[in-house]
This record gives sequence, structure tokens and C-alpha cells, in this order.
Amino acid sequence: MRSLPSQAVFDPASRGADILSELSLVLTIGAAFIFFAVMALAIYAAFSAPRPVDERRWVVGGGVVIPTLVLAVLLIYGLLAGSALSHGEQTKALRVDVIGKLWWWEVRYQAADGSGWIASANELHLPADCIADLRLTSDNVIHSFWIPSLAGKVDMIPGHENRLLLHPTRQGVYRGQCAEYCGDQHARMALDVVVHSPAEFRQWLVRESQPARSGAGDFLLRGKRAFFSGGCATCHTIRGTPARGQLGPDLTHIGSRRTLGAATLENHVGTMAGWIVGVQAIKPGSLMPSMNVYAGDELRALATYLESLE
Amino acid sequence: MSSLPSPLPRPPGELEELERVWKVPTGIRRLTAVNNTYIGIYYIGTALLFLVLAGVLALIMRTQLAVPENDLVSFKTYNQLFTMHGSVMMFLFAIPVIEAIAVFLLPAMLAARDLPFPRLSAFAFWAYASGGLIFFGTLFFGVAPDGGWFMYPPLTSHEFSPGLNADFWLLGIGFIEISAIAGAIELVVGTLRTRPPGMSLDKMPIYAWVMLVVGAMIVFGFPPVIAGTLLLELERAFHWPFFVAERGGDPVLWQHLFWLFGHPEVYIIFLPAAGLVSMMIPTLARTPLVGYRWIVLAVLSTAVLSFGLWAHHMFATGMPHVSSAFFSAASMAVAIPTGIQVFAWIATLWRGKLQLTAAAWFILGFFFIFVLGGLTGVMVAVIPFDWQAHDTYFVVAHLHYVLIGGMVFPLCAALYYWAPIASGKPLSERMGRWAFWLMFVGFNLAFFPMHISGLLGMPRRVYTYREGLGWEPWNLASTLGAYVLAAGFALIAIDLIKNLRIAGKVKTNPWRAGTLEWLPLDDYATRSIPLVESRDPLWDRPELSEEVERGQHFLPGTATGQRETIVTSPIEARPQYLMVLPGPSWYPMLAGVGLALFFFVLTVKLVVPAVLLAAFTLAMIFRWVWSTDRSGDLSPVAVGGGITLPVSINGPISHAWWAVFVLILVDGTIFACLVFSYFFLWTTNPQSAWPPADVELPRLAWDWIAAAMWIASSLFIAWAARAVSAKRIRVLGRFGVSLTIACGLAAAAMLTSSFALFKTGMRPSDHAYGAIVYTILVYQAFHVVVLITMAVYTLLRTYKGLLSQANRVSFDSTRLLWHYMVVQGLLAIAIASGAPRLLS
Amino acid sequence: MSSVRSQAIVGAVLLMGGVMGIAGCIDSAAPTVRVVGGDPRAGRLLTEQFACGSCHEIPDTRRALGIVGPPLHTFARHVYIAGELPNVPEQLVAFLQDPPALVPGTAMPDLGLTEQQARDIAAFLYEVR
Repeated sequence: MRSLPSQAVFDPASRGADILSELSLVLTIGAAFIFFAVMALAIYAAFSAPRPVDERRWVVGGGVVIPTLVLAVLLIYGLLAGSALSHGEQTKALRVDVIGKLWWWEVRYQAADGSGWIASANELHLPADCIADLRLTSDNVIHSFWIPSLAGKVDMIPGHENRLLLHPTRQGVYRGQCAEYCGDQHARMALDVVVHSPAEFRQWLVRESQPARSGAGDFLLRGKRAFFSGGCATCHTIRGTPARGQLGPDLTHIGSRRTLGAATLENHVGTMAGWIVGVQAIKPGSLMPSMNVYAGDELRALATYLESLE
Repeated sequence: MSSLPSPLPRPPGELEELERVWKVPTGIRRLTAVNNTYIGIYYIGTALLFLVLAGVLALIMRTQLAVPENDLVSFKTYNQLFTMHGSVMMFLFAIPVIEAIAVFLLPAMLAARDLPFPRLSAFAFWAYASGGLIFFGTLFFGVAPDGGWFMYPPLTSHEFSPGLNADFWLLGIGFIEISAIAGAIELVVGTLRTRPPGMSLDKMPIYAWVMLVVGAMIVFGFPPVIAGTLLLELERAFHWPFFVAERGGDPVLWQHLFWLFGHPEVYIIFLPAAGLVSMMIPTLARTPLVGYRWIVLAVLSTAVLSFGLWAHHMFATGMPHVSSAFFSAASMAVAIPTGIQVFAWIATLWRGKLQLTAAAWFILGFFFIFVLGGLTGVMVAVIPFDWQAHDTYFVVAHLHYVLIGGMVFPLCAALYYWAPIASGKPLSERMGRWAFWLMFVGFNLAFFPMHISGLLGMPRRVYTYREGLGWEPWNLASTLGAYVLAAGFALIAIDLIKNLRIAGKVKTNPWRAGTLEWLPLDDYATRSIPLVESRDPLWDRPELSEEVERGQHFLPGTATGQRETIVTSPIEARPQYLMVLPGPSWYPMLAGVGLALFFFVLTVKLVVPAVLLAAFTLAMIFRWVWSTDRSGDLSPVAVGGGITLPVSINGPISHAWWAVFVLILVDGTIFACLVFSYFFLWTTNPQSAWPPADVELPRLAWDWIAAAMWIASSLFIAWAARAVSAKRIRVLGRFGVSLTIACGLAAAAMLTSSFALFKTGMRPSDHAYGAIVYTILVYQAFHVVVLITMAVYTLLRTYKGLLSQANRVSFDSTRLLWHYMVVQGLLAIAIASGAPRLLS
Repeated sequence: MSSVRSQAIVGAVLLMGGVMGIAGCIDSAAPTVRVVGGDPRAGRLLTEQFACGSCHEIPDTRRALGIVGPPLHTFARHVYIAGELPNVPEQLVAFLQDPPALVPGTAMPDLGLTEQQARDIAAFLYEVR
């Protein structure tokens, strides 16, 4: 099995995550040091011959003075690290809205031509070396947005809009997973974050801003008809077609995404077909029903059509 | 008191009389026992049963997670498993077991014959045991709660959890709320008022100190969750939108209420375990505890600080930075008192020499695991680190290190250390040592790797995970460790089943301890209640055991022919009066089981059986209290040592007043939490939306009328109180009439306020504003119903001639609660009507 | 997995005190069909890589609970491939490379397998049970 994109705290790829990774390392080493010192003392005390104790030195020195000093240093260090993480007010940052859904993510960007917002899903694209201003919320239950390689987690709470400023420094793909238990398929609510070079990102955004373009041909046309005859448009939007559903992920560029089902499956025509008719076996409890209404070749056409939406 | 030990020979028949009075019923009537030793053992046994059950759930989860993409259980089952594992461990094992140990151990440590309210303990136990089993049983029908043990709305609201699952959670919590409050009353009154003569506060064993503090923590710590569960149930049942953002609510309100309880709760669990350690270490190291006063100070400051750090569970919710910094600092500061305790223990070991018994091994294991868990706790108190670690397996590791290390290991040590008090002989040291090593190795193998899987990005509460993230070896190790840990628990279970009995008569001190629980014991506790002159009486006066057993100290028999114990003053422990204790009875047990069944049928919405069971439960409670409160007419009795004490007593120094006072504190804190919710929602709503623009306020005239009636009802109660001093108290006399008028006034005041609010046209389901205002009103109405019931009960006793100048507890309790209710009623008006007028 | 079955499992595990429930069942020893040049171990990895499990139930394979196509644990004993082609190695290798070319009505799409990949997967499919 190929390994998935990194999801680890100690694999930082942003300015903030660098700080967090270093902080985590310092804390771990410090805690280990104190732990072994206290253990050595306890074991020696338990097994050595009895000897008198100076109550004040032990209890006040060991129990009050030393911890107070250590904790004071730690508190200051933690607060400094915290303020180093804040990027201050950003006016020119790239604004992206991420909305937690029942077990997937809606992602909204400002269109490349400034014509408004475009929706995407389950994948976040960011330029390296630029600051992204993420607005996080939810319209259902509480979720938590967490990409360990880029930043600590921020909850997505109905009625609240939380901000997360990100400054990715390393190109690549990073994985994240919902970190606040959100019901049935909490375990399969993940997303990939793709950090591009700024130029690549601009190209990507231009392409993403355009309406769907599918190739010609009978087979693709048949797939497209299957999309509408199956009622998919009730829940899904494909910009450039009459499909305007708002309940499920936007599918305008589904073919270009890395994964299906909020990073549940890799995305290709086979998994697409399996997902459409067997979603309840793959991600049981999903709000999407298994669309087992298609003839075999019709399903194949539908999957091929969707994969062609790049 | 110089005449102690009394040199006089004891009169014949005295011991037999004592044995007769304290005899525990046999056969089926064993269920009616209220002696703290029996209820304590049942209670501990039941709590351990829940430990095993919740542990089995954990094993199923670990098996599921042993390999990625496993399908042993479905997501539906898994989500119920972890919710139940957490809820059962926290609410049906951890909190009950610390109360259970106190029920069993505390009276012995204080050489009291029983807890101050034995039937209350019995009732709390039966309600908990039957309610807990029903709660656990939901798992077998697939309707167990599945919202996680902290049940965050909106996931748990009616919209996203329409089934009964979440209701069962609220039901299960209901029992723990009841038994915890009952326990708090026992703990506070027990430690402050039933200590042996001479045991001033500074001579009180550390464990008793801790339980006093824990009692107080329950008083202030449980009300937030009581208020929270009330709001959640109102939202679920009637759609009152406290947590619905579109209608003025805020999901974060629940998080504040839950963690305002949840974090003190962690210390409610940990401090008693630390207290047990502070008792065991001096004995096992054969030297007095180093830093007694420091430890007391540490326990007190932990208790205070624990109420100031709840929001560290919410660093990721987008709180303002200033308040985050405050909670971060408080979370770190709480490490200092814990450091004091750890260093006091190490210093005690330094001064002494540890005897390596099974208990000692468990204590060493506790050091290792708990210190590690404490250090990861400090790590997650650093806010930026918490943003990474929060809600991952790192936190799962941390919380198991502090809870299993900080609580379960000391508990195991305590089982091996104190079992002789129950059985008369120790458990198997050999099995204890094997169990320790299995548990120690298994625990670390299971939970240490979770730190790593957490930092590798694994969130908690996932029923499965994908291959290829590097989590596989750590999860497999955790699963193997879980089975090794379970084997250790199994060994202890076998040892307990083989060797733990309730022996009744016990005379043993195998570890040569210095505190009073090691005096010779029987069903009546100690033969006589010792005069205490130091912290380790049995070390400082080795002959004390013999003297006590020969009946040479206080109260060597029964003075009134009933169960009784000595009540002493709260600080100096000077004898004040003799408290008569109730004996075995079916009623507390039937009331407890009835209450459990009532809640259950109510949850599944069987209305008629619910009404019948409610009536049954109330009848049982009335029948139980009816037989109490009739010992005040007895003349003072000699209790030995040249001291004569009155039998029972009324007024502010009586234990009944103290108990009511504790109850009022609980009640007032619940009300304060509702008021907090009101103002919290105010701050989260836009200024113009609180109250919402279209909402009309109740007319002031109605409020003034209601307020006047509340005050008048209090005056009539005061008037009735003066009538109790009269020689004859009559239903149709001054007493009965003023009590009846007070009831009428309270009912009228309540109706006036309700009418005024209803007339505004606002309904509780429209907006969070209306919801919280109506809730405050409903809470007040609940008090009116309870107080009128109590007044009717008092009138009934008056009619039967049972109320007198000396036997007036039922009226005094009603009176105290009544005055409280009136204050609360006035505050309710101020909130509903005054606050929006004055503060907007 | 149905809720009833899950509950039954919970009950069983509670009773037995936790039995590792991952064991597969080993039965019927059908003669193994060999695919020339196919490596079954490579085939197993390929089935995971191409997420064949999103449509098929495949033993020993993670995430393979699909219900779209036939379960494959008895594939060696199946008479036909996709209900049309005789189940022999060379037909299977060809089918895997372009299913609609051989069975036009099939739902199984062309996944762009190379011949070697198809051989490996075929070898694996004749071995699993």
C-alpha cells in the first residue's frame, strides 16, 4: 500500500508548524528530563536506608520552588510561542472559507477573475510562501480543522467563525482529519492540502474558477445524461450545467481531485463507479445513498463523465 | 477527660446490647442493611463491576483498532462503545468508587459508628446500582449513547441525535448526580461532625481532610453539569434552543457548563486516591507523613484551582487570547500543589524504609505513571502545544496516565492494604505482585504508544483508520498492552472473589498502621469511641486498641437502646450530643430502585408506569423519613469519661441543619449556573438581540406583586417557627394556619410570575432568550412543588402529634429551604424582568 | 455491517472475554490455477493500490467490503467471469485490462492496467479464498 500524505506534528511545512514542532520537541525533552529525575529520586528514597529529612527543603524546595520556576519559564515560553504564531492583521492574505459538513468539507475560494466565490470540496489548495486566511465554520455539528503539518487545530462551531492564518513554506501534499467527534463517519472525514508554488497556484485557481468542461463523445454524453436521470443534481452542483444542488460537494472539477469521499478513497474511474453505487458499503452512514439504479455500462459512462471534469 | 481510660469494669450485658442494636439482618433481609461497612462493600463491588464492564468495552475497541480498516464492529457500535466506556468509567466507576471507599473507610478512620445519614447512603447506593445497570444494558439493544462522554451539542441535540441514545446518557448521569450529592452531604457532615472526641482538625487523617474537600468540591462542581443536563434535556424534549445558533443559542455554552464540572471532577477522582496514598505510605515506610500541613494546604489549593481551569479543554474553540492565557497559567499552577504532595511522599520514603508489599508496588507504579501523566498534562497546558495534541491519541494517553495512574493504581494499593479491615485477613500478596507487574507492563505498553500515534496525527474517537500513516505498529502495541493490562485486572478480580469477605468481627493490623481504622471492629464499629490525642494514635499509644476494645473509652454500649454515634464540634471535636442513627429498612432500597425504574420508563416515554413509579418512590421516601426525627424527647445520657450529652439536638449546630445547608449550597449553585447561562448567552448574542427585538418584557406591576407575595410567605414561615416553641402545636392553630398561608402565597407568587411571562407572548422554543428565562421560572416552580410537599408532610406529622419543640427537624428543614426558595424567587424576578431593563 | 450483527458480536465478545475476531475461515482445497508470469503477492498489493475493494469483497485485503461487484473469495471456483467469459487465466488477464471490450454491458471500467499488472492480479485472484 502506498503511504498517504504526511499527517504528523513533527513534519512541519509552514511557519507556524515549525514553531509548534520545535515547541513540541522542547516540551518532550524537558518532560523526559524531569520525569527521570523524579523517578530516580523516588526509587532512591524508597530503597535507601532511612535518614532524616528537612521538611522545608523537601516540600517547599522540591514541591513549590522548583515547579514554580519551571512553570514560570514554561508559561512565558508558551505565550511567546503563541504570539509568534499570530501573523497579526492580514489584509492581503488569500481568503479561503472552509465549512465543516456531515463528514466532508466545503472549501470556497474567491474566483480568479474576482467574479465571486467558487465552491470546491474535500481538498484545500494553497500557495507556498503566502499567507492564507482561513475562515472556519460549520452549519451542522461541531468539527475541528486540523492539518498537523501546517497548524494546530481550530474548531468549526455553528454560529461562530474562527480564523486560522497559515503560512505554508514547503510545497507538497499534507493530510488532515476532523479532530472533533462529529458523529457516524467522523473517522472518514479527512482532507488533503496541496501546497503549490505561487505560480502553480494561480494556474490552478484559474482552472478551478472556470465552469466544467467535459470532452465530447457519445459515451461521455451518456454519462452526463445518467447524472441527471439519476437525480444527482438534486444534491450536487456542476457549474456550467443545470446541476445546482447544494447538499453535497460541488463536482465541477471532481476529476482533478486526489480523493473521493473526504479522503476516503483515491480517485479514479473504478473507485468513482464503486462510490456512486456502493457508497453505503464504503462509508456507511453517509448522507449520500447508494445510487444503485444504473445499468452496468451506464454506471461506467457516469463514472467516466465525472472523471472527465478536470 | 482525664478519667479515660475508665478503670471501671463494664456492666454485664452492655456488649450484648450493643451487638443486638447493630446486628445486620440476615437472609433476604440483608438487602435492608444500612451499616456503612455493608453498603460500602456493596458499593465498592458494584463500582468494580462497572470497571470490568467498561474495561471489556475498551478491549473490544482495542481489538477493532489493532489493525487498520478493521471491521470487527461497525461505526454505530464503536461510537456507542467509546461513549459508554468513557461515561461508565467516569460516572459509574470512578466517582462512585471514591464515594464507596469513603462510605466504607471514613467512619472507621474517624471511629464513628456509622455515617451521619446511613439510609441516605443506602438509598444512593441502590439508585446508583439499579440505574447504572439499566444504563449499561442499553448497549445490548443498540440504543446506548453515542455522542462521546462529553456529549457536545449540536451533535447530541434532537436534530442530530433524534433517537433515545442521548436521553439514556442524561438518565445515567441523573443517578450519579443524585448519589454524588448524597455522598457530598455525608462527607461534609461526616468529617466535620462525627470525629472522635479530641480529633481536632489538625489531627484529622489526611484522607478525611481530602474527603471533606472533595465533599465541598462536589457541592460546587456537580451543579454545572446538573444545570447543563437540564438544559440539554429541555432542548431535546421540547426544542428549547439553548445550543442552537440560528435561534440565539450557542453550542459553546454546553462546553463551559460541562467542563466547569468536568475539570473539578478529575480532581474529585484524583484527590481521594492521593489521600489514600498519604495514608498508606507512612505505614509502609514506618514513619509519620512528612509535611502534613503542606499536604492539607496542597489539597485545599488544588480544590480551589481546579475550578479555574475548565476552559483548557476549549483552547481550540477560538477563545480570546487573554482568557486562554489565564487558563493556561491556572492549568500549570495546579501542578504546584501536586508537586507538593509528590515531594512530601518521596520525603516520607526518604525518612523511612519501604516495606515492599503488594500495596507498596502499586504505589511505586502510581508514582511512575502519575508523574508521567502529570508532565504530559503540563505539556498540554501550553496552549500552542495543545492546539496540536488536543483531541488526539496524545490526550487519550495523557488522561489514562493521570486517571489510571492517579486513581486506579492507588485504588489497587488500597484494596491490598485495607482488605483486612473487611475480611480480617489480607488478600494474596503473591497474586497482588503478579497483578501489579502485569498491570504495570500492560498499562505502559497500551498507553505509551498512544502519545506517538497522537503526534503522528491520529484523532481520538475514530472507529477505524487508514493504512499508510505510520500508525500501525503503535496501535498494535496498544492492543497487546490492553490485553496484558486486562490480565492483571483479572488476577485482582480472582483474588478479591477468593479472599474478600465481610467478616463482621475483625481484629487485625497486619501493616502495623497508626490510624483508627485498625482498631478492633465489629458491626457496631469500635466497642468504644476513643479519645484521640495525636495524628497517629495507635503508634503513640499502643495500648489504645486494648482499651477501646475493653470499652474503656466513650460510649462503650448503647445509651438509648438505639444505634447512635457521638457528634463533636467541627474544629476542636468537643463532644456536643449523641446522634441517634436509623437501623435497617426496606424503604431506602425500594425508593432507590423505584427511582431508577421511574427514570427509565420516563426515558422510554411510558407515561402511566412513570406516574405509578413516581408515586411509589415518593411513598417509599415518605415512609422512610416518617420513622426518623423522634428522638429529641430523650433525656441526656452519660457516655463515659464523666461526660453527659443530650440526645439529638435542634438548631444551627445539629447535623440536620448542616445537611440542609449543604443542600442549599448545591441548589444555589445550580441556580447560579442557570443565571450564568443567561448572561453567557447575552454576551454571545448581538447586543440588540437580547432580549430579541420582538420580545415584550413582563409587566412590572405583576413582578412587584409576586415579589411581595414571596416575602410575605417567608414571614408566615417565620411566624410558624415561633409557634413551634409553644407547648402544643396544632394544625388548626397558629402553626398550621401560617404554614398553610405560606403555601398559598408561594403558589400564588409562582402563578403570578408565570402568568406575567406567558402574557408577553414569548415562548421558550422561539429563541434562547425565552428558553433560559422559562427555565429559571420552571426551576423555581420545581421548588414550590417540593416545598409545598414538605409543608404538607410537616402538617401531617403535626396532625399525628409527631411534631414538638424537641422533634422538629422536618419543620426546620422545610423552613430553611423555604427561605432559600424565596431568595431564589426574588432573584428569578430580577433576572427575568430587571436585568434586561437595567442592563440593556 | 448490520446493527443486529454488531450487537451480537459485542455480546459474544463480552461473554468470551475478548477473542481476536479477525481470523478468516479456511475451507475447500480447490486446485490452484497458475497464471503464467503472474506474481500473486504483487497482485495483492495492486488490488489495494487500485482500491478494487471499493466494488468487491476481497479476503486479506484492507478496505475491501464493496458490494458492487461479486465477492472474490471464491473466484477460483467461479465458472464465468462477469457472467459471460469462461473463467480461465488468459481470459481473466484480458478482461482485467479492458473489461468493457470483452463484456460490453459490464459496470467494471477500464482501469488502465498493464498486462503485467493484470497477470499479477489474476494470479492473486486464483489464490485467494
